[in-house]
Amino acid sequence: MVDPILILVSVMLLGFAVLVLLPRQGLLARLKAAKEAAQREKIEDILKFMLDRQQEGRFASTESLAGVLGIRSKELLKLRVVMEAQGLVRTEGNALALTPAGEQLALQIVRAHRLWERYLATEARLPLEKVHREAHRLEHRISVVQVNELDAALGYPQHDPHGDPIPNQSGEFPSEQMGKPLTAWPQGIPGRVVHLEDEPTLAYEQILAEGLKLGQNLRVLEVTPERYVLTDGENEYRLAPAVAANIFLVPLPEPSDMAKDVIPLVALKDGQQAEIVNIDEACQGFTRRRFLDLGLTPGAVISPELTNFFGDPRAYRVRGVLIALRQDQAGMVQVRPVQQQ
Amino acid sequence: MATLSDQNLTPQDVLARAQALRPRLGAAFRDEIVKSLYGEAERIARRAVHRLEDKKWDLDQRIDRIVTSPVWGLPIMLLLLAGVFWITIVGSNIPSQMLANAFFWLEGVLAGLFTNWGVPWWITGFLWHGVYRGLAWVVSVMLPPMAIFFPLFTILEDLGYLPRVAFNLDFLFKRAGAHGKQALTMAMGFGCNAAGVVATRVIDSPRERLIAILTNNFVPCNGRFPTLIMLATVFVAAAFPPVVASFVAAGSVLAVVLIGVFFTLLVSWALSRTFLKGEASAFTLELPPYRRPNVGRILYTSFIDRTIFVLLRAMQTAAPAGAVIWMLGNIYVGGASLANHIANFLDPFGLLLGLDGVILLAYIIAIPANEIVVPTMLMVYMGTGMMTDLPGLDMLRTLLVGQHDWTLLTAINLMLFSLLHNPCATTILTIYKETRSAKWAAASVIITLGLAFLVTFTTASFARLLGWV
Repeated sequence: MVDPILILVSVMLLGFAVLVLLPRQGLLARLKAAKEAAQREKIEDILKFMLDRQQEGRFASTESLAGVLGIRSKELLKLRVVMEAQGLVRTEGNALALTPAGEQLALQIVRAHRLWERYLATEARLPLEKVHREAHRLEHRISVVQVNELDAALGYPQHDPHGDPIPNQSGEFPSEQMGKPLTAWPQGIPGRVVHLEDEPTLAYEQILAEGLKLGQNLRVLEVTPERYVLTDGENEYRLAPAVAANIFLVPLPEPSDMAKDVIPLVALKDGQQAEIVNIDEACQGFTRRRFLDLGLTPGAVISPELTNFFGDPRAYRVRGVLIALRQDQAGMVQVRPVQQQ
Repeated sequence: MATLSDQNLTPQDVLARAQALRPRLGAAFRDEIVKSLYGEAERIARRAVHRLEDKKWDLDQRIDRIVTSPVWGLPIMLLLLAGVFWITIVGSNIPSQMLANAFFWLEGVLAGLFTNWGVPWWITGFLWHGVYRGLAWVVSVMLPPMAIFFPLFTILEDLGYLPRVAFNLDFLFKRAGAHGKQALTMAMGFGCNAAGVVATRVIDSPRERLIAILTNNFVPCNGRFPTLIMLATVFVAAAFPPVVASFVAAGSVLAVVLIGVFFTLLVSWALSRTFLKGEASAFTLELPPYRRPNVGRILYTSFIDRTIFVLLRAMQTAAPAGAVIWMLGNIYVGGASLANHIANFLDPFGLLLGLDGVILLAYIIAIPANEIVVPTMLMVYMGTGMMTDLPGLDMLRTLLVGQHDWTLLTAINLMLFSLLHNPCATTILTIYKETRSAKWAAASVIITLGLAFLVTFTTASFARLLGWV
């Protein structure tokens, strides 16, 4: 007579062994897959960082990698061996350099990251300060084919929501002027914001909290070692120099007749008629499509007709239809008041 | 590179070429397409449409100014809502009674027939007192109110008034991170939560729509109103002199509704800051011109799309529920019915929430439809073996307070539980179908049930701490 407890124990042991050792679903296999994924993510982050440095004309030292990415130097050494074995990096002096294959992979990750940011901001409409972290998580889990599909679905955007250029399929960046940081911008001359650096996050959040955004026209009023005072003609913004260095400007285009006496839709008085000039560039994706579908196209005549008793939302008559919009949305539509007879 | 002027191009070549050129177009070309479409439409309209001086347009504007005015906007809205409720409750009383009488008369006749034929008692009981009675109960309680509420609601919708409500109330929903149109789906939820969930299709951004779906259940539906009214009348109003009793009853039902609205906003707010993070976005609301309602269309949409749709789904779940209820009431183990055993088992937990085991049991087996909660409860209390109603409120009071130790706390907590507890099976099924996700359907149950437990437990502990009970 076999002891039933013995049978029970051995069955349990067998079951446990199967659970651990199963080739694909087993715990060991999963652990290995997770470890590999984590390593790949780290390698991809390193490549991205190196690409970033390379674009600034510098090489990344091992110390800077360890410092910025928070990887211990022992682990870094191991990763370096793996990367070299895969032909992604080569040693140049005591610094690392990307091989063409490494650069291609890095560009692919940057492309995935910025396309995700674009998608999250304009289609999923995540708050801007959360977009970067989420995109950073997603960028490692998407294939080249999927990235291309995402690109096509978004309509081949050229910039991510911070104004960073998105490389195309062959890894080329759209040609354009890069803009100067605000700290190098001459005082008193207006410039247009083309890029808001989203790293470090803390500085970016501060920029967003101030209400600064892409496409805004800014002028530097005052510079002291402690702060920069800016204006967009209406509000004043105060920033620490370290934060101001994360805002990039280009010179304004030659003033044309188009830009004259243009105001946001919210500033219109009840019953005042205006012609739509354009929809803000910062408003993209779902919201922009919705606006266009409703007939808020350039040239259409619009006039506020009803206001909620709390002032928000407001209903506008456009193309014979009454459409209610919230204040922050109506702020994205630029209009020019029409002289009424 | 091949150009389009080459003669031997296949359609595939053209497509491939377009594909290659497409990335160079930039973002603004979508704008241009829409602009040119509107331009073309405008050109055609100018040629084909003649505009006369429009008196109706003027009238529309004047009505709009009144219904969205700070003084009249909210009172008009509340008045219309109260009117719709009143007509629904008063108007459905008699038809409900008639339907119930007819159905239960048929039940008696058929069960008698079965007994005469010598069919075993348990087959007769299971079929007629279980499955059929469950179905009959749900139909007779649900059909008349829905058949009245939905057409009324559709009239308001067709008139063009409802978008103005969304316009008026948007400020609340904006603060909660939700969409103003959620007000419409909530109003629909008063008729039926499943219909309210379907109605969230009018919200075009997925995040806000999900919020509206998950919180719709905090609006008490037609199936829960009778319970609320009964409790308000038997317990809350009974403490006041008869002259004001009906007002007190109505007031406490209104208070429950307002608590529901409060929880809707609270949960919307919490969701939009945790699981459904995002900006309160893309609020575009069309305020259509006022139109004379189209009677044929109203009857069609309210009956076919809403009443029948909801009723069929409710019947699918009510029949098995009837069977289960009958079995629980009629299978005896060791001298007590299964229902009593379970109720005893649940009793400590129920008492913790200020309720009791029978109430919890009734809510568990009445998941298919809230209408059968009270009959199931009475069945277990009275040990009748089939869902039961009492003819008079006084008898109800004697039974509940006299024999089963109900207190004011039990009544109030039952009202709160009825307001906050999980959606009925029909609604859960509808949430699953609308979101195509078992996860969100489960979330709708967990959120509501968790909140119901939390709130009732808090009020019960509070009342006990202060020695009120």
